[in-house]
Amino acid sequence: MFPCPCIAPALAVNGPSLLPQIEQDPQQDEEQDPEQTPGLLDSILWMAAPKKRRTIEVNRTRRRAERKLIKVKTNIEPCPECGHLKQKHILCGFCYAKICKETGLIRQQIKEMEGGPLTAPPVETVVLYEGETPSEQDGGKRIVERPRKRPAWFRN
Amino acid sequence: MLKLQVLGGASQQLSCLHTSISLDAKHWERNNRKVYPPQLPEEPRRPAEVYHSRRQIKYSKDKMWYLAKMIRGMSIDEAIAQLEFNDKKGAKIMREVLLEAQEMAVKNHNVEYKSNLYVAESFSGKGQYLKRIRYHGRGMFGIMDKVYCHYFVKLVEGVPPKPEKRTGFDQAKEYVQGLKNRTIIHSL
Repeated sequence: MFPCPCIAPALAVNGPSLLPQIEQDPQQDEEQDPEQTPGLLDSILWMAAPKKRRTIEVNRTRRRAERKLIKVKTNIEPCPECGHLKQKHILCGFCYAKICKETGLIRQQIKEMEGGPLTAPPVETVVLYEGETPSEQDGGKRIVERPRKRPAWFRN
Repeated sequence: MLKLQVLGGASQQLSCLHTSISLDAKHWERNNRKVYPPQLPEEPRRPAEVYHSRRQIKYSKDKMWYLAKMIRGMSIDEAIAQLEFNDKKGAKIMREVLLEAQEMAVKNHNVEYKSNLYVAESFSGKGQYLKRIRYHGRGMFGIMDKVYCHYFVKLVEGVPPKPEKRTGFDQAKEYVQGLKNRTIIHSL
């Protein structure tokens, strides 16, 4: 925003080559010092700066070029389960949220069953809904009961 | 929303009077209150138009422009679908505006089917900025602008018009035709 080198000297010439050789020593030392520390004086000479203000037409052609415009997506289709829109290679957001909600409730139930951290039993878990009994495969598994009807998308 | 009861035939002349009905009577929304004289039976049916906008959105007008440019000329369903899967911040806001406008069209503007709309105009404008100080080195400071923008949309009932595609070959053909049409004027 505001330029930094406000303390640079206005003169910007190569000191020693312009001065005659018969100059006194203190004056030569003064001129040589800024050259030996190549800081502000040298950098001013090669710093890149815009020559002219870019017109709004030039700016617009750059900002509105084809490659900078947003591309229209052609991979959007309706989800066959719920009818909301989804992208072809991504799960439907609505269906995923619905499943997340149910799994959240299952996790809450497991938390209540366990009662504290690091108390998970070293056995598999099976989720049973209303009116279901554990089958022969679910012999030694931990049972989590959910007091509702089995959702259509959660098959045994 | 209050509606101006304009006297039938003189509606065009009276519309230039400053009648401030409500506090938020901004220019774009005022277009919704325009009342046309009843159409004659031979005239083709005038398609319904809905004007909607949202003011002081915390987003840049230049960034909003890209989204507005994308949905220009699309049908409303297509526009809403594209905005749903766009990752930009302005896309979510724009989608809400389009849904509000669609609802307004069906409820207040006598649009029969909510899908039978297309985006005729869509653009962004600069809102009122807040100014803050941005500290630089050496005691220097800059004035930082907290940018806000407005978004305007006009929905029209009907099928979206197809943009005319002129290929290079067509343009070349027209140029050659123009050359062939040259004659010498005032000749025998």
